[in-house]
Amino acid sequence: MVPRHDASGTRSMRALATFAVAASTAIGSSLDAQSMGNAPIAPASAIGPATGRPTFSVLGLASSNEGSDASITPRSEIWMGATHPLGQVGRVRFSAIGKGDVRARETAGASSAVDGMLALRARARVGGAQVWSAVSYGYVNVSGSGAAGAAALAPALGTGFDGARVDTTVSRRVDIGNISRAEAGVLSSVSGVEFSFGFSVERASRVTTQTVTIDEQNGLPPIAPLAGQTASTRVTRSLQRRDIASGVASMGFNTGPTTWLVSVTSPIASWITSDALAPKARVAPAVASLAVVQPVTAWLSVVGAASTNSATVGSTALRDDLGAGRNRSFAPVIALGVRLSRLPFFGRGDDTPSGILGFETRTIGSVDSLNVTSTFAAVDSAVLAPDDRDTLRVLLLIDAPKAERVELMGDATQWTVTQMTRNRNGKWRAELKLAPGVHRITVRTDGGKWIAPPNLPIGNDDYGSPVGMIVVKGAR
Amino acid sequence: MLSVTMLALAGQLLGAAMPLASGTDVEHGRPSATSAEQSGDQSGDQAQPPVTFDPTRFDSLTALSLRSFLDSAAEQGLPLGPLINRALEGAARRVSGARIMQVVRAHAAAMAEARAILGPTTPVADLDAAATALRAGVDEKALSAIRTSRPVGSVVIPLMVLTDIVQRGVPIIAARDAVTTIARMPSSDDALKGLQAAVAKNSVRGPGMAVDALNRYLRGTVSGGNPPSAPATTDRKPIRPPSP
Repeated sequence: MVPRHDASGTRSMRALATFAVAASTAIGSSLDAQSMGNAPIAPASAIGPATGRPTFSVLGLASSNEGSDASITPRSEIWMGATHPLGQVGRVRFSAIGKGDVRARETAGASSAVDGMLALRARARVGGAQVWSAVSYGYVNVSGSGAAGAAALAPALGTGFDGARVDTTVSRRVDIGNISRAEAGVLSSVSGVEFSFGFSVERASRVTTQTVTIDEQNGLPPIAPLAGQTASTRVTRSLQRRDIASGVASMGFNTGPTTWLVSVTSPIASWITSDALAPKARVAPAVASLAVVQPVTAWLSVVGAASTNSATVGSTALRDDLGAGRNRSFAPVIALGVRLSRLPFFGRGDDTPSGILGFETRTIGSVDSLNVTSTFAAVDSAVLAPDDRDTLRVLLLIDAPKAERVELMGDATQWTVTQMTRNRNGKWRAELKLAPGVHRITVRTDGGKWIAPPNLPIGNDDYGSPVGMIVVKGAR
Repeated sequence: MLSVTMLALAGQLLGAAMPLASGTDVEHGRPSATSAEQSGDQSGDQAQPPVTFDPTRFDSLTALSLRSFLDSAAEQGLPLGPLINRALEGAARRVSGARIMQVVRAHAAAMAEARAILGPTTPVADLDAAATALRAGVDEKALSAIRTSRPVGSVVIPLMVLTDIVQRGVPIIAARDAVTTIARMPSSDDALKGLQAAVAKNSVRGPGMAVDALNRYLRGTVSGGNPPSAPATTDRKPIRPPSP
C-alpha cells in the first residue's frame, strides 16, 4: 500500500504488511467473509457455501475514518465475492471461493489496489459438529505515487541514506504480494448459537519496488550525480516475508427471515517465525462487525455490513498503512451491496429439491406419518398449560442424511423459518406444539427450494410451491 | 430512501393506531365472541390455535389492506386463522402484497362458499380443508357428497385426500366417487390415507397410473380383498399404446 503524505503516513509505510495479512486472516474474516459467506460462523454458513448454490456478492465499501493522527483519508472501493459448490466426495463437500477487491486511485498520490484470493474449502459433518478446512492463495498489486518529504524513509529501505540531510521523495511504489494460507476449524451449535474455533497458518511475501527521487541541493548525494542535474532517482527493490499462525474464535446467530450477523472476533494467539519488517507486530485488535442480509426475492438479497475497523476489510493483504496507532483505533467501515443466489451462467444450482428421503411425525409415544391422533396419555401434560390441553407436542422427523441444514416453516411456526436439529442417526428433528386442526408445512434443505414433505397430502399451491398438510386430531 | 423508511414507519404506526372493527380480535386471528355468535361459528373456534396477525411482517400498505379485509371477514363470521396463515405464508415467501391479498381474498371466498355447502356449524378445520379443496378445483357437488357420506364427524381427512388426489391428476368425478365410497365405511380414515398414498406413489408415472392405482385400491378396499394398510399399488411398467 502506498504511504501517506504526512509523517504518520510515512511511518505507516514501514508498518507491518503482514500484520495486515494476519488481520485479514483472523480478524478481517468477519466482514468480508460474512458478506460473502465463507466465514466459519453460523450466519455465514447460512448465506454462503452451505447453501450449496452459487452466490455472487457485490458490495461498495466506504470508510469514514481511514487514517490516523491528522490524516483522514476517505476510502471507497468495490468488493466482490463469489462461491460455487464443486461437489461432494463422501461426506465432504467442496466449494470454491473467490473474492476480489478493487480500489481506484482517487487523487494524485493515492494508491490503487487490486486484491484477489481464491480458496478451496472443504466441509464435513462429524457427529453434531462441522469441521472445515481451506487452502487459499492470494495476489495483491498495490501501486501509487509516493509521499513527499519522506525523511524517515531511508532507514526503512535500508539504503543508508541520511534522512536528516537528504530530501527524498518516493515518486512511485509498487507492491506485489502473494499469500498462501491453510486453515481449519470446527463449528458447533449450542442453543441456536454457533461457535467456531479455527486455526490458520499463513505465509506472505511482498516485493516492493520504489523509485526514489533525491534532491541533492539539501544534502550530500549518496550517489554521484550526472552532470548538470540536481536530482537523481534510484530504484530499490526489497523482499519481505512473514509466517504467521493465528487462532480465531467466533460465534454467530441469526433470527427470522432477516439474517443478522453479529460477530466479535479476536485473535487467540499469533506469533512470527520470521520478520523482515519493523516495527514488530502488535496484538491485533478485536473487531466487532455486523452484517444484515435481507432477502428481497428468493435469489436476491440486500447486504449491509459494518465493522469497527476498516483495516480488516478489502485490500488488506500486505497493507502496510496500518500504523502503530491505527491498528487500535476505531475506524469504522460500512458496506452496502447485493447478493445473488441464482447465477444465470451456473444453471439452477441446488434448487432441485433433493436430499429429503422421508418425513414423519411423532407424538410423544405414538407414531403416525399423516394423522397425528391425540390421546392425553401420550402427551406430557405437565409441560402444557391448562388451556393447551389439546395441544400436542409433535416431533417432526426428516430423513435427509446428506443435508447440512434443514429448515421448516408452516402454520405452526407462524411461517417463520425454523432450523431443525440433527439427530445422531442422521435424521433431522423439530418439536412443535400443534393444536388440533390442519397444519400446513413446507421444508427445504441447504437453502434450496421449499417443498412439501414427502408422504404428506399436498395443499394449495398458492405461491408457487406446494405445502404438505398435517392433521392433528384432538381428544374432544 | 429515508422518506420511504419514514413512510413505512408512519404506515405501521397508523396501522397500529387504527381502531379495529367492533367485535374483532384480529391480532389473535379469530373472531371475537360477538362476531362468532353472530355468525354462528362456535364449534371449531376453540380447536383452532390463535394465530397472531403481526403487521410488521408486511409492508405498510399490505398490512393496512389485510387489517381492513380481516375486519370485514370477521364481521361475516369467517375464521381468521386460515386467512392470516395464508398471508403469513405469502410474507414468508416474499411475494408481493397484491398477490397476498389475492390469495387471502380467494380463500375467504372459498371458506364462505364451503360454509354455505357444509353448514354454519362446520368446524374451522373442516372449513379450511373445504376451502382448499374448492380452490384446488373440487366442485360443490363433491363437497356435498362428502358431507353426505359423513353426516357427523370431521370431514377433514376425506377433503384433504380428495384435494391431494385431484391435484395429482385424478379426475374429479373419479376422485369424488372413490373418496365418498370409502368415507362411508366405518373408521375409514386409515383407508383414505391408504388411498392417498397409493395415488401419490403412482402419480409420478402419470395421471393414468394414478387413476389405475385408485381403481385398484378402491376395488380391493371395498371388496375387502386387501386391507387398507396394504394398498393395491402397482409397480408395473406403464402400458404404452401400440405404435401406428
